[in-house]
This record gives sequence, C-alpha cells and structure tokens, in this order.
Amino acid sequence: MSTSNPVLIIGAGVAGMTAAVELADSGIKAILVERQETVGGNALDLYKAFPTDDCFYCFEGNRWRPGIRKCFYRSALIDQPNISLKMNSEVNTISGKPGQFTVTLKVGPQYIIPKKCTMCGLCIEKSKAFHLLSPQCQPQAVVYTPSINDDGAKQAEEECPTKAIRLNAQPTEETVKVSDIIIATGYHEMKPVNMTEYGYGKHPNIITQLELAKIIDPNGESGGVPVRPSDGKPVKRVMMVQCVGSRDENYYPYCSKICCVFALKHANILTQERDGVQVSVVYMDIRTYDRYERYYRTARESGVEFIRGRVSLIQPGEDGSLDIVVYDSLLNKYLKFSVDLFVLSSALEPPEGTAKLIESLGLKSASGFIGIADPISENEVVVGDHIYACGTALGPAEVPESVTQARAAVSKIIQSRK
Amino acid sequence: MTEMEEQSGPPTTLIDPIDMSKLDTKFREQIKSMPNSEELSACFACSTCTAACPIANIWQYKPHQLIRMIILGMKEEVLSSSEIWLCLTCYQCQERCPQKVRVTDIFFDCKNLAAEEGKVPSNIIGLGKELLEKGQLYTVTADWEREDLGLEPAVPGLSVEAVKTILKETRTNKLVEGGE
Ligand SMILES: Cc1cc2nc3c(=O)[nH]c(=O)nc-3n(C[C@H](O)[C@H](O)[C@H](O)COP(=O)(O)OP(=O)(O)OC[C@H]3O[C@@H](n4cnc5c(N)ncnc54)[C@H](O)[C@@H]3O)c2cc1C
Ligand code: SF4
Ligand code: SF4
Ligand code: SF4
Ligand code: SF4
Repeated sequence: MSTSNPVLIIGAGVAGMTAAVELADSGIKAILVERQETVGGNALDLYKAFPTDDCFYCFEGNRWRPGIRKCFYRSALIDQPNISLKMNSEVNTISGKPGQFTVTLKVGPQYIIPKKCTMCGLCIEKSKAFHLLSPQCQPQAVVYTPSINDDGAKQAEEECPTKAIRLNAQPTEETVKVSDIIIATGYHEMKPVNMTEYGYGKHPNIITQLELAKIIDPNGESGGVPVRPSDGKPVKRVMMVQCVGSRDENYYPYCSKICCVFALKHANILTQERDGVQVSVVYMDIRTYDRYERYYRTARESGVEFIRGRVSLIQPGEDGSLDIVVYDSLLNKYLKFSVDLFVLSSALEPPEGTAKLIESLGLKSASGFIGIADPISENEVVVGDHIYACGTALGPAEVPESVTQARAAVSKIIQSRK
Repeated sequence: MTEMEEQSGPPTTLIDPIDMSKLDTKFREQIKSMPNSEELSACFACSTCTAACPIANIWQYKPHQLIRMIILGMKEEVLSSSEIWLCLTCYQCQERCPQKVRVTDIFFDCKNLAAEEGKVPSNIIGLGKELLEKGQLYTVTADWEREDLGLEPAVPGLSVEAVKTILKETRTNKLVEGGE
C-alpha cells in the first residue's frame, strides 16, 4: 500500500480547505483542486457568519471589523509545502483501485503567480483584463481574463514590480497518484428561473439570498449600504420568501436546512445595522435548529415582520418598486406590500458535475448530493472505499458542520494509515 | 429586463388585499408601551393562546390572530372587534404562551384604547350605567343564602353611596354619559 501517496481533495471551499490544512499539518501531502479562480467557495462573500457573527475569512480587507480573527488558511494554502493548490483546475479521469487511484487533472493556465503578486493594483489600472475577485480572494492575487488581451495587459506584464504576470501561460494536464479522495465540492444556490411565480430573472430587484449577501457586505460595491440593483437607490423595504424550490416535490424534496437561519441573519443585519430598513419574511415554517432560535427571537424583537403564507402575486410598481400580494394563512387574509427588494431563499442544490462524479466513482446519491456509503453506520463522511466527502457536498450544512466533517474525514485517513 | 407582463395567480381586483401602507405601523409600538405589553413582538404565532382559550371557538378573530393583527398594525379592526370585550379574562392564554406574551393584559390595553376612542359595546355601557346607578353590579337579593351560611342578611360595610360618588369622577362615568 502506497501510504506515502498524497490525498486528492476536490473543491476548495471551507470544507476542502480545512481538510487540506489538517492533512498537511499532520504530514500528509494534499492536492487541492479548485475549479474557480479563488478558494473559499460559497462562503467568500458572506460577511458575518452565524453562529458567532464574525467572519470566517479574516483577510486583510476586513481587519477593521470587530471581533475578527486572522485567518490561518491565508498563508497555509500557499506556503504550506504539503499542500499543492491547483486553481482553475478540474479532475478529468479517475482510475485505479481504492488506495491507489490514478487521477488526471486539467490544470488551468497560471497567468498570475500568486506567491509573487502583491496586489499592488498596477495591472488593474493598465487593463480591464485584470481584476480583483474579492478582497477576500485566496490566493491573494489578481485574476486575468485572457479574452481581453489588450496592449495594457502586455504593458502590465512588463511593468509588474514582482514579475508575477505570464500572459502566455498554457493549460496543462497532470497525472497524479493518490491514496484517498476527499470530495468537498459543496453546493450551488439554485437560480429559481423556472419558478415563474417569483419572477426571478425578470426584474432586477428580485434576487437570491447569496446575491443579497454580496450587496450588504461592507466590502462590496456600495460599502454595505443596501441598494436596489435596478437604480442603485437605497433600499427601504425588503421582503424575503422562504422555501423557494426546497420542500417542493417539483424541485427539491428536502429542506435546505440553513436558509431560515441565513434569512434571519440578513434580516437582523438589515434592521439593526442599516438605517431605516423594514424587512418582512414570508414563510411556511421557520426552522431554526438548536442555538439558532436566538436569531428568530432577535428578529421579532427588532421589528422584522413575519407572515405565514405564500406569495400570491408580484407586480412591478412604478419607480422600480414591486407590489406584492401575500396570502396570510394565519389571518386568512391577503396583504399587499410595496417593496424595493424581493429576496428568494432559494434551494441549495448539488453543484454541476456531482452526478458525473457519483457515477464515475460508483457512489450513492442522496437527493443528488453525495450519499454516505453505509447509511446505518455513523460514518457520515465515508462515501466509498478510500473515498470521503465533507461539508455541503453531502447536503446543505453550515460552516461549523462542514469543518467538523472535514476534520472527521482527515482523522479517518490518518487512522487508516496507522 | 423588466418584462413581467405575463402574470400568474389571481387578479388583484378579485383578491382585494389589505393595503399594508394604509395600516397603522405605530399601533404595535403604542400597545408595547402600555402596561405588561412589552413582550408583544416576541409572538411567533404558534396559536397556543387560541388552543387554551375556552371561548375562542365562537370568535371570528382568535387570540393569536388578534395578536398578529396588532403586530401588523390593524388598529381599526382590533379596537372595534367584539372579541376583546368577549374575553373572559381567565388568563389561560397568558399562562400558556411559550414566549411570555401577556395576551390577556394586551387585550386589557386594547379595551382601554378602544374606550378612549369611544368604541365600547352598548352592553358594556349598560353595565357601567348600572354600576353608576346602583354602586354595585350584583345586588344580593336572596337573603336566605347568607342566612343559610350563618351570615347576617345585609353585606356589612357595603357603602354603595361612596362607590357611586367615586365612580362619578372616573372614566366609567364619562363613558356612560358619552354613550347616552
Ligand atoms: C446566503 C447564505 C448565507 C450563509 N451564511 C452562513 C453563515 O452565516 N454561517 C455558516 O456557517 N454558513 C453559512 N452559509 C453556508 C455556507 O455557505 C456553507 O456551509 C459553506 O460555504 C460550505 O462550504 P463547502 O466547502 O462545503 O462548499 P462550497 O463553499 O460550495 O465550496 C465548494 C468548492 O468546490 C468547488 N468545486 C465544486 N465542484 C468542483 C469540481 N468538480 N472540481 C473542482 N472544484 C469544484 C467550488 O468551486 C467551490 O469552491 C450560508 C449560505 C448561504 C447560501
Ligand atoms: S501588477 Fe503584478 S503584483 Fe501588482 S497586482 Fe498586478 S500581478 Fe499583482
Ligand atoms: S431552512 Fe427554512 S427556508 Fe430553507 S428549506 Fe428549510 S424551512 Fe425552507
Ligand atoms: S401563545 Fe403566545 S406566541 Fe403563541 S400565538 Fe399566542 S401570543 Fe403568540
Ligand atoms: S383570557 Fe380571554 S383570550 Fe385569554 S384564554 Fe381567557 S377568554 Fe381566551
């Protein structure tokens, strides 16, 4: 058994990053494959995170925020010699047998060498081809869009003070041998375009919760001031609707588990930290498991309006507002609201490519997410022989749960090598 | 982008919704500032209060709905509802509320506000009138009951005249006079 072989981790969200760092710190090499240009996954622009209300990605950009710890991942992913981070990359094929997998990777071109880039911003001024994804991006480096290959870009390549730019970088294919695979491919927030009753995609002020998170992030474009996407005007009235595509046999039969909590988190941020914003939440059940009930009580105390029922009708009003009629099942009455922002708590679904991964590795599926190998056992991170999964790849979960599962997967691997 | 012509769902004219902008958003705060009503907004509409109530089965608006209407700002409907007066003040709802909302006390506050606006049902005015005229609501007529219990026939120390004088200076008198 080639126990010195590295471990392949697919996906560099909170779960994949935790697994990589924990393995590396235990002396096991980890190959961390991420298809995006930044690690962090869905938690990148979440601003405050429950349950502690501080930020999980404590990079330089938000040091000023109260209660921030400096994130240990920052240097680890780039500098820890046991971690090999493959950005812009995907797994192509997996062959071999458990414990001795042969994996081919499609590694994206490395236009910017992250260890060299200091984010000085020179290239961004020279050409639109360079931009910063987020102040919290990781690797802490600019990204390059090859389709905008202009003169400015060439100039930037020459003038970059640290010589971090390689415009002619090419994609490569690599073959690696790994002992174990950790699937940490996360989730995708459903874009509810097919649910015509909610008008998503038809009106700019109808958005999802992840889109709202970006708008209210103090690091975002408006500096955290809630503004309407239609005209940038300040938002005064917000309506949220729960269970969009979740608990719905036409879409996803399961409860997405955390959307009630993040809707409440957003409602509390809006009513408590922003000026004069009124929030209404339309719900069927508010599901705030264990400690999260506190968010619900706080929301009611701070004046958030809860309406048990469903949305009946949405009509664009004048001046970019939306007229919304809601059936209130507790009163048996219809209520009419005028709002600036209509926010959908949309289902958390398996990310693209999950079905293929499940099929090629012969895994079980749990409503489309990675299913655990033996549902009766308590090994919820074991999904196959030498194959593990953690975080939201297994289904909707909060960050603490994702991190705990990542650690569990790592501890299983360490045990198996003893 | 703003093409939302194709509508699904019933036409607004048929639903005739309550226009939220016409409701009194301050009503909630007004009630909250009154005695024992601080916990109003903690209500999460579980309807325990209604389940506990011995009389709500005949009410149009159940206790949890009245609380909800207060929170939404339906001042007019709440203060002119008959339910706040039909309440037996038995406190069952308040005892059982899991969020410590003082439902019965809130209904008292509603009655006080309704009275201030002159919205008191005529039978209640009738009771007030009787109180003002007789100085007591229940006159003891069956002397034998007291006798059977070994008590003297007249209630000792009962001074209906004093009560009548005091009542003249209270809001009860103003309400009764205003109601006439
Ligand atoms: C609006 C909103 C607010 C939230 N707020 C909170 C909060 O306050 N507190 C909290 O604890 N949780 C919160 N969450 C939940 C939180 O986002 C998740 O728990 C967490 O991000 C899960 O991390 P993950 O690593 O499992 O998945 P992800 O963050 O989804 O990461 C998966 C990564 O894998 C990559 N990937 C996927 N497939 C492949 C592939 N085939 N090849 C290569 N890479 C791949 C993706 O690009 C991504 O980077 C919130 C969620 C939402 C939607
Ligand atoms: S000029 Fe070089 S160091 Fe500066 S941000 Fe661009 S790539 Fe990074
Ligand atoms: S967490 Fe809440 S909003 Fe999300 S699916 Fe479950 S009940 Fe619906
Ligand atoms: S019992 Fe309390 S929390 Fe429940 S509906 Fe009545 S007032 Fe609200
Ligand atoms: S106090 Fe009134 S509302 Fe409450 S249970 Fe008794 S009768 Fe019903």
